[in-house]
Amino acid sequence: MNFKLKNPFGIRSKLVFLSSFLLVIPWLGYRYILVMEDYLRRGQEQTVLGMAQALASALNERPELFDEGSYSPARQSEDLYVYPVFSPLSLNDGELIDWREYQQYEVDYGRDDYLRTSLNPLRVYARDNSLSFKNMVGEYNGSLYAYFKVTDDKIVYRSRDTLSVHRSDFLQISMLSKEGNAVNRFVVAPHEPEFLYPFKVGPDFSDPIHEERISGQWYETDDGYEIELQIPMEMLGDRLGFALFDVDDPESRAISTVIGTYKVADAERLGSLRLPTPEIDRIVAGMDHSNSRIQVVDRSGRVLLTVGDIQSASGLQLSSRSADQQSNNYWVYIKDKILNPLYYRILTKPSNDFIDELYSEVSRDGAHIDSALVGTANTQFRTLADTQTRLLEAAYPILANGEVMGAVVVDQNMNGLRTFRNQALESLFNTILAVMFLVMFGLFFFASRISSRIRGLRNQAESIIDDSGRVQNTIVASQNSDEIGDLSRSFSNIVERLSQYTSYLENMSSRLSHELRTPVTVVRSSLENLGMTEKNEESAIYIERAEEGIKRLNLILTNMSEATRLEQMLQTSEKEKIDLNKVVHGCVEGYKLAYPEANFERDAPEYSILISGVPEYIAQLLDKLVANAVEFSYKDQPITVYCRTLRDHAVVKIINAGPFLPEEMKDRLFESMISVRPQEKQKQPHLGIGLHIARIIADFHGGQISAENRLDKEGVIITLVVPLFYK
Amino acid sequence: MSRRIAIVEDEAAIRENYADVLRKQGYDVMTYVNRKDAMAAFDIRLPSLAIIDIGLENEIDGGFTLCQTLRSLSDTIPIIFLTARDNDFDTVSGLRMGADDYLTKDISLPHLTARIAALFRRLDVIDQPTSPENLLQRDKLSLDIGRLTIQWDENPVPLTVTEFWMVHALAKFPGHVKSRQVLMQESKIFVDGSTITSHIKRIRKKFMLIDEAFDCIETVYGMGYRWNLSPDSIN
Repeated sequence: MNFKLKNPFGIRSKLVFLSSFLLVIPWLGYRYILVMEDYLRRGQEQTVLGMAQALASALNERPELFDEGSYSPARQSEDLYVYPVFSPLSLNDGELIDWREYQQYEVDYGRDDYLRTSLNPLRVYARDNSLSFKNMVGEYNGSLYAYFKVTDDKIVYRSRDTLSVHRSDFLQISMLSKEGNAVNRFVVAPHEPEFLYPFKVGPDFSDPIHEERISGQWYETDDGYEIELQIPMEMLGDRLGFALFDVDDPESRAISTVIGTYKVADAERLGSLRLPTPEIDRIVAGMDHSNSRIQVVDRSGRVLLTVGDIQSASGLQLSSRSADQQSNNYWVYIKDKILNPLYYRILTKPSNDFIDELYSEVSRDGAHIDSALVGTANTQFRTLADTQTRLLEAAYPILANGEVMGAVVVDQNMNGLRTFRNQALESLFNTILAVMFLVMFGLFFFASRISSRIRGLRNQAESIIDDSGRVQNTIVASQNSDEIGDLSRSFSNIVERLSQYTSYLENMSSRLSHELRTPVTVVRSSLENLGMTEKNEESAIYIERAEEGIKRLNLILTNMSEATRLEQMLQTSEKEKIDLNKVVHGCVEGYKLAYPEANFERDAPEYSILISGVPEYIAQLLDKLVANAVEFSYKDQPITVYCRTLRDHAVVKIINAGPFLPEEMKDRLFESMISVRPQEKQKQPHLGIGLHIARIIADFHGGQISAENRLDKEGVIITLVVPLFYK
Repeated sequence: MSRRIAIVEDEAAIRENYADVLRKQGYDVMTYVNRKDAMAAFDIRLPSLAIIDIGLENEIDGGFTLCQTLRSLSDTIPIIFLTARDNDFDTVSGLRMGADDYLTKDISLPHLTARIAALFRRLDVIDQPTSPENLLQRDKLSLDIGRLTIQWDENPVPLTVTEFWMVHALAKFPGHVKSRQVLMQESKIFVDGSTITSHIKRIRKKFMLIDEAFDCIETVYGMGYRWNLSPDSIN
């Protein structure tokens, strides 16, 4: 038996190794999605450029839009445009410098805005241009701010000795109340350039009550005065009007001119508060929902207007995935805690929390704008260093009369695309992980099944033939129709034929003896008859010799069938609980009588050794072993019969001192018809049946029998191992 | 009146050899080759004793069938199986069919004739009273050597002649160990050790059918068997 080193790579590990090539699939998917992303990015680039082009086309050939100063919205109604102001405004600084670039949005009011009121009921038109003002309304931090640059040739302040507030230059603020059911009027009529002290008045300027929520400053300028004021938004309804009353004669203090932001002094005719929508705004406003930041710059790169903010300008609208996240909390947990952290070691997650430091409200620059301002549309990508956010910027020139008037700049961040790509990769990886897990598991299961079947077949094949080469089991033919099943069936076939042949060989002696018995009987009975009749002395000798020969022949025949007979008897025998030690003891006592010339020693404990067996057969077994031991012992050398328990087995050893067994015969000694006796010792016929019978009995008791040469001196040990009685 | 012995045996040489010997003994011998011939003859007249082989020409178990038929015709006629089959299974079957003895063909002619004589004697003495000198009483066991019958506790034990001789050999000297060799000689058979073992087993079974507690035949491992008197009889 040569046991080779076991193959370290079984079918299972080979299949698992092969299936690891499946890992190439996610890599391919990753590559594919990267290519997709590239396509999408180019698409987005084209879209953004197209958007810029469309806008630029709308603005083409309209040079007036870009005229210096005319970019203020044309005043068309009594509505007031409230510009959002992004910087704090100061009321008491005495100048308008803090309004900065918002001043370009101021609106002129002049002679055409003459207002007839109860104080100047007679005059229908303005007498001259002595009063005009520029007005700007802005909103900052929950308050409405306004300033008035008033041009007035004569400033008449309220006299300190009068209670009336309408007999000087004053500003009237009319507003619809928050509830919308009444018009509140406030008057600002200072005694001198001062911090404002406004009054709430009735319709006819009576009952002035101080209103402290409105604050502001009045100060004089070279050609008139300026008023800055602040009204909390919560005071305001949705309609508001300003009117400036002018008194020219400090004596009569009659109102000479009133110019207002509304045409008729009527609550319904007050102007609405509106956000400014100048012309470009209106054109651009159509693009407001385009998920982009759109800017229009003029020739010098000054930003004329901005629509949208870059943080939300992701270009792509992504559908919300909150719905399916509710569906399986367990899956969400795995995804959020295990998979996503793994994925985002490789992927970058874009953040919308970034600051475009190049962006300012006032001006823009960049290679794409420079290029657009010389007449070539261009796009560029810019990566914001701190947040890994990429911005896509496109600029398209606006032309008028063949001349570049400005450019449309459309910006988008790439976060939408990046998020889209990440989502695609996530779902790809999830799917592939699931598929690979399934495939790996399937392959592993399949390989395990195959290798277990092959191992089962191997174990069966190994157990067919025992150590001495006898066919013991058969192979159960598999019903499977595949190659392994086929192999199993063909093995089963071979084993069946082999066992048939073996059983033929094993039964041959028995059948041979049976067949020979009849002719032997014929010869013997004839001889006996002859012996009874023949009185001739000479022939009597021959008859006697012939009968002697027949007797030996008969003995041989009996021995030959002994094994078969024993096996038949064993089939009907029932094992009982017996004391092996007692049986051995009885046998040894018997042998001492039966072989007076031999020297027996018993090496056994006092306690009983219980086994399950048939005492007669055990005795028969010992008979055979001892008969052999006596025959092969040297004279005067003891034959030791040893009996002990070893763990859960009983061990009986017959130890003699005699010639060694030939090495090659040791395993075959217990086979039928095997004898190691030298020819000259054959006084009696020996067929090598004795030890074979011993083994049959040992097998019947579930035990084993083996022979080995002694190590200490010349001799042989025959060992019988039988399992102990087990309830 | 001479005894009529029927031999049913398909092997001509054996048949004639046995017939010659028995004729020399003074028996009237008829020989049959197969079961059909034998049955035809038995229907006309029953023999005093029948010696039957199991395998008859093409009938493997023809002898068994013949034995059954013959037993149904007569309860008393002695039937001996004489066959080459020496396995335990056939022995048990044959005896169960009602045969008086089961012998293998190893048996020598003198042994065979001794058995036949014994069987006839047993038949003869059935009606005669037992002579006391032929009786052997051992405890509950009583052997009638003349009739070749055994009683245990007044109950007859149905033993074959071979078995009777074995029990006789054992019970003659209670407490003495008889080796298998001795038992073979005493019972006039020539077999191997394991056959003796199965004989003893059968004898024990027959006794135990009558008395569950029977344990007088003790196995002395390595030596042979011994008849033990039951302890209470010693006391």
